[in-house]
Amino acid sequence: MSTATMERTLEDSLLLRLRVEELLFTEADLLDSWKLESWLALFTEDAHYYVPPSDVDGDTATPDTALFYIMDDPVRMRERVVRLSKIGAHSEHPRSKVRHLVTNVRVERDGDIIRSRSSFIVSRAKDITHDLFVGHYLHEIVDQGDELKIRKKTCVLDMEALRPHARISIIL
Amino acid sequence: MALTTGIINDKERAQFLVPRRAFTDRSIFEKEYEAIFNKCWLYLGHASELAEPGTFLTRTVARRPILFTRDKEGEYHALLNACPHRGALVCRERHGKGRAFMCMYHGWTFGSDGHLMTLPGSSGYPKGFKTDPQKQMVYVPRMERFGDFFFINFSRDGEDLATYLADAGDTLKLLGEHSPGGMQIVGGTQEYSIRGNWKLLAENSFDGYHAACNHSTYLEYLGNTKGALGVDPLKGEAVDLKNGHAMVEYTAPWGRPIANWVPIWGEEGKKEIDAVYAELQSRVGPERAERIAKKSRNMVIFPNLVINDVMAITVRTFFPTAPDYMEINAWALAPVEESEWRRKFRLYNFTEFLGPGGFATPDDVEAIEKCQQGYAVGGDAQYNDISKGMARDGAPSFDDEAQMRAYWVEWDRRLSEYEA
Repeated sequence: MSTATMERTLEDSLLLRLRVEELLFTEADLLDSWKLESWLALFTEDAHYYVPPSDVDGDTATPDTALFYIMDDPVRMRERVVRLSKIGAHSEHPRSKVRHLVTNVRVERDGDIIRSRSSFIVSRAKDITHDLFVGHYLHEIVDQGDELKIRKKTCVLDMEALRPHARISIIL
Repeated sequence: MALTTGIINDKERAQFLVPRRAFTDRSIFEKEYEAIFNKCWLYLGHASELAEPGTFLTRTVARRPILFTRDKEGEYHALLNACPHRGALVCRERHGKGRAFMCMYHGWTFGSDGHLMTLPGSSGYPKGFKTDPQKQMVYVPRMERFGDFFFINFSRDGEDLATYLADAGDTLKLLGEHSPGGMQIVGGTQEYSIRGNWKLLAENSFDGYHAACNHSTYLEYLGNTKGALGVDPLKGEAVDLKNGHAMVEYTAPWGRPIANWVPIWGEEGKKEIDAVYAELQSRVGPERAERIAKKSRNMVIFPNLVINDVMAITVRTFFPTAPDYMEINAWALAPVEESEWRRKFRLYNFTEFLGPGGFATPDDVEAIEKCQQGYAVGGDAQYNDISKGMARDGAPSFDDEAQMRAYWVEWDRRLSEYEA
């Protein structure tokens, strides 16, 4: 490979990673500021949002055969956002303070699909509790040319159990 | 009358009051371990979790690390997971296959039944050391099986499991009858905690009264989701199953994979659910089939096993590590032969309501934690009221509190007996 080709490849992959990082950072920002309708708009219409439990291989497990914490299809993602906008969602009323840290973003292109793997720490603080969720995201992203849309988001918790957290009442 | 624990059970005035120190007092918490967790039958696991001979799992039951094994002959064993040598945990894996367990400290190695197979440097010990009963892993004093449910008891004495379960046994049998081929725990465990007293979760698990307020957003979600609601109203009764066990049994508008169809499952789904129902009827008879398929049940087996046979089946057990903190493990139970489609909907149903990421459980958690915080007010605010339905003639409704009173009366009996 010539130096020029290598540089182009490097440029391409950096550019791709920057585009994905921009998307992931935007997502984190929207979640931190509770702009959940806008968060939902980052997803395709057939998107899924998953949180597997700690005692299965979260990278490969499927919610059709193993019990997950969250296995949202598009209907349920929308309803999750609707629910969180109500004062009857007691766990999040008043709303907790949320901060999403996203780092170590790796991307891989597979045709129109971009698979990204990144590390996260999500902090949730509310009255007497302050919990950290630690894990990695697997984003399946569709390149629609002018914009990127998320088709699947899996939040794999790198934790032994959801303790002492008790709940995933925010969106990870 | 006032019971020894301070519970006021005044039938004439239709008043049942539980002192709030039952949730906060450290000495009561310690007594609970002596009088309840060291005396009652406690859920260990389900036979399907050790489906093959030579498999094992580790689990903490009421604070104690347990090694649950199945030997090569297929026999089940419940061992205290500590090395007889220096007390280190012998098995440090959550589950797996293996017939020998080596303690990582000095290399003592034990069989599935806990017997000492080998130890390095055995020449340093007297003859017969290896077979000395004290050098073997210790069995949990009692383990018994009811259907596919395994329970353990840390006390050598006391009633057998079937007697202990009383009328709750029939509901456990009913669960077995969901399937002609047996039931299994689906892979994946929901493991979480709540910063609240453990008895608040027992109460909450079969509290029919809180649904309308606490879970309004869940009920609205069902309403919003086209076809998620069936025709059956929320209606039913509370049943005292004796020995502190109780349940609420009721019809509900949600779909049940066995076998209450809702429109969202489509015509194909209807065919399958109809076939499931027909098989059920021919196997257990029309009356029992109707009960299994159309009725939901939230059962608490005293002290810490919840089996909710609702939009899916959850098996949930929990124990306190402090008056204001508990650890919870929950699993999904399902028919072994279930089709891919039905399994998928079962899990979809489960996660819709149940568990830390569901549309309902987080609000239960909030309620439990806010109760615990509220108890800090102290002063004259001493009692919780559990009297709903006491003044009612006839059977207690599912949204009364008779099931909780049954639980509390047993709790009181156990603690009082211990103190006497």
